[in-house]
Amino acid sequence: MSGVIVHLPRESGGADGEPRADAVTLRLGPGEVARFGRGPASVPVELRLDDPAISRLAGEIRVTDDHWQLTNHSTAHSYLVENPEGAGEYLRVPPRRIGAPIPFEFSRVVLPTRGEATVSFQVFAPDHLYLDPDAMGVPWGNRTVTAYSLNETATYFLVLVALCEPRLRDQSRVAVPTTPRIVERLSGHLASGELTARAVSSHIDYLAEEKLRVGAPDSPEPGRSDRRNGKREEIVGLALRFGLVREEHLALLPPLARTGGQERQAAR
Amino acid sequence: MSAARTTGDDLTDVLPPGCRVGDWVVTRLIGSGGWSTVYAARPAGRGPGRSGSAASPPDRGDVALKIMPTAGLSPRQVRSIVESARREVELGRRAGHPRLIGFREWFVLASPERPFLEGAIVLVMERATGSLRDLIDAGVPETDRGRLIAGICEGLAHLHRSGWVHADLKPENVLLGRDGSVKLSDFGLATELTGTHGYAPPMGTMDYFPPERWKAPLGELGVPIRPTADIWALGVIIHEVFAPGVPLFAGATPMARGAAVQEYGEGRAALRVDPAVPPLWRALATDCLAPTHQARARHTAESLLARMTTAHRRTRVVGAGRRGGRARTAALATALCGVSVAALCSDTARTAPGAPPGLVRVYNAERGCREPVDLDLRCSLGLAVDPLLPYTAENVVQTRVWHGDVLTTDCQMHGGDPVVDEEDRQSTRWFRIRLPAGSGPSTAWLPAVRTREVPALPECR
Repeated sequence: MSGVIVHLPRESGGADGEPRADAVTLRLGPGEVARFGRGPASVPVELRLDDPAISRLAGEIRVTDDHWQLTNHSTAHSYLVENPEGAGEYLRVPPRRIGAPIPFEFSRVVLPTRGEATVSFQVFAPDHLYLDPDAMGVPWGNRTVTAYSLNETATYFLVLVALCEPRLRDQSRVAVPTTPRIVERLSGHLASGELTARAVSSHIDYLAEEKLRVGAPDSPEPGRSDRRNGKREEIVGLALRFGLVREEHLALLPPLARTGGQERQAAR
Repeated sequence: MSAARTTGDDLTDVLPPGCRVGDWVVTRLIGSGGWSTVYAARPAGRGPGRSGSAASPPDRGDVALKIMPTAGLSPRQVRSIVESARREVELGRRAGHPRLIGFREWFVLASPERPFLEGAIVLVMERATGSLRDLIDAGVPETDRGRLIAGICEGLAHLHRSGWVHADLKPENVLLGRDGSVKLSDFGLATELTGTHGYAPPMGTMDYFPPERWKAPLGELGVPIRPTADIWALGVIIHEVFAPGVPLFAGATPMARGAAVQEYGEGRAALRVDPAVPPLWRALATDCLAPTHQARARHTAESLLARMTTAHRRTRVVGAGRRGGRARTAALATALCGVSVAALCSDTARTAPGAPPGLVRVYNAERGCREPVDLDLRCSLGLAVDPLLPYTAENVVQTRVWHGDVLTTDCQMHGGDPVVDEEDRQSTRWFRIRLPAGSGPSTAWLPAVRTREVPALPECR
């Protein structure tokens, strides 16, 4: 369990379109709290949202069990929590609501501002757990279960299946597909729009760091690109070895344009 | 075990009683998990008449068959099942011990008439009468608790000494033999240590995960596992046995409890051991449940086991009133084979009909103090420092004794201070009792009215 990750991207939250100095990432363990708002003066906040329309203490995030709760300190504004992968799924957290439980693994918290633009940040809750396919239909409380589980409807899972596809199809030790290959393989398949190369990379990072916690965390990072490639190989190896991705998951991918795919591969 | 009641679809996959598997005949279904089904079975050579009805207690030759089907699974699933079976077989062959479930043999089933069992792996194991989970659900008798925990600890000490980690220790996997003895089982995740770590598949039972396990990285070989993971699970089990039904970590689901475990592991929450857990076991549980691997590493199964015996001996000698203390001491004596328990309370002597020479059994004339449940101080009896002086509070050693305790005596004395008991029996005879080392005076005196046995003893000089 990793708790919850709060991510404030670099480009958002800037006052009057000015970019913020840096992206902010907070990692919260179970029971931990992060406050957000315009900050400082009387109330220090862990996540500063620099917009005059946002109160000094706008709200707080509390990690509970495998999810998180949102408290809205605003007396006037509702906050929206969107599920970017949920085909328009969202929650509205009304003013002064305490501890609204948020069920999404991926959330975008949207705060209204005076202008057109909104201020938003992301919250990831990677600890959501899914039943073991082998153990369906039996009480699970005291059962031995797989400790790593993946949401098979999430985009990251689709990326993972695409990464594993060559090995699943012919069992040979073919190279793990590159990011552009994944983008191409999944193009036009996602309801939520096209995947960018950056999105694929961040899904891979998310899988490696939050879902599978690949490799020794204390290993140094010599040559970032080498490591990145190693990471892909490792994710695929683990997902296959421990049965997290199986043959039946290939059905999630768009049908293979057999000849086209092979030609492209040959051309590479 | 409720998992045995499967849905209609699965019923076809259950072997009926009388079905032959290798050299064994199935007598009934015991339970089923995700990967395996366990049946009770008897040797095929033996007629069904002798084994009696399905519900009768297991005979000596009876076994449990753990059948792991492989038909219709992907090669990868088969591989993980084979690996799990291999762990069990290897551990069973190389680390046999009275506190581990006995492993007999294994084979691959050829079953043309039952395609779902074609190629299934069958492990043949010693038959147990039930699990600690069943016992916890039914209520563990207070007198058995210490013995059971010591038994688990003994099994763990052996496993760890042999270089293995169980990795899925929980009451479901603690079985009970025909004589009520503890038998650790289910070594499907057990791992052999290579250096300080072993590696287990990324599986387990969340309520028994130590805090560090929630953040454990996954590698090529699986999740790193250390013996301290078993020690944590032992702490959880101690609490479950001594405070049944009281959650150690709050939460409605295993995930919620896992979050509480992590909060504790990161120092944001305190460990709340139920007050019902007696002090000795509370101390042991607290050490087993130290928040980090480093803090837990000091407490090995072996050192914990030693504390269970010595702390016990001391408790008894100091005589502090402990709930169920006496019963535990007696029980420990049976559980800890090879560990010498103070002669002050020897189980073999206790069960013998009439104490042999040199031993006297304490008798309390007060009826209410003869119940073996409580070590109430009010029910304790004193041993005199000097049998010639009045038998009063000033003239007794610190050591208290209770009804049923068996004491070692080396001689008797007639003509001491006369003592009258609650049943009006009177005697001037006293027995000299040997006290365990380290308890101040090495001997003290028990009035003869405090026992119903009169061993033949030499007169004290």
